[in-house]
Amino acid sequence: MPMTIDVEQHGGNPPVTCVALTGELDASNYEQVIDVVRNAYADGARRLVLDLENLTFMASSGLFALHSAVRIMGGETPPDPEEGWSALHQMSMDEDAPASNLRLAAAQEPIARVLERTGMLRVFALDATRADAIATLQGA
Amino acid sequence: MAGPRAIQIPASVENLAEVRAFVRDCVGEFGGSKRVADDLVQAVDEATCNVMLHGYKSKPGDIDIEASLRDRKIEIRILDRATTFDPTAAEPRDPARRPAPTRIGGMGLGIELLRGLTDEVHHSVRPDGGNELTLVRSMDRPTQEE
Repeated sequence: MPMTIDVEQHGGNPPVTCVALTGELDASNYEQVIDVVRNAYADGARRLVLDLENLTFMASSGLFALHSAVRIMGGETPPDPEEGWSALHQMSMDEDAPASNLRLAAAQEPIARVLERTGMLRVFALDATRADAIATLQGA
Repeated sequence: MAGPRAIQIPASVENLAEVRAFVRDCVGEFGGSKRVADDLVQAVDEATCNVMLHGYKSKPGDIDIEASLRDRKIEIRILDRATTFDPTAAEPRDPARRPAPTRIGGMGLGIELLRGLTDEVHHSVRPDGGNELTLVRSMDRPTQEE
């Protein structure tokens, strides 16, 4: 099943960009996610929700894409997948502080398990629903 | 009792979805739970992706995947003709360190997932060249949470 990506602007103050992933995120399409987030940031998005409600599978390449999204939203250049280790080891995110302007929402059980199993929930905040994630980003 | 099954795919990441569908189908046919299917789908995707990117180095080649059931254990063998590549040689990540996804399909989180999702992972070099990676997952293993 191919993956589709839908981008939606959620008004309010401050505005939040929602990127919804549907299908399976793997090594064949993870770069699409990075591109979409990069374009959203270039267009001025500063708060982002990655809605995983309809994502049924996520490979480790998907974790890489989410990680890149955190860096892009932090104003950093994401690592080049070809450069690998050296680039990623220079990560400058705060220890044990998840990204403050990007939240994941509504991960299905297998995906939540992958995030947990790999320790990635220390990098990403995960909310039960998209609405919860938006509310948190808007300081509600 | 369901018999062994096999598919052959060209080594391209475009074919990973077909590999996942094959594994899910086999686990269902063998009578495994959704949880066993989820775990094996994830593990085989990671292992097969490794073969494509690090074994064949994104060059053309074939990958055979065989699934069988023995003593309530599902065994999946991934066979290639690529240069020797042993993912089991990777060092485990120190759990105290913050996770850092490495390059795609690299010896990072993918391998860690492989280990956590299966009961056994074996690598051997095939006598006539290429690699054989065997993943074993019990159908009865209680849910493992970390």
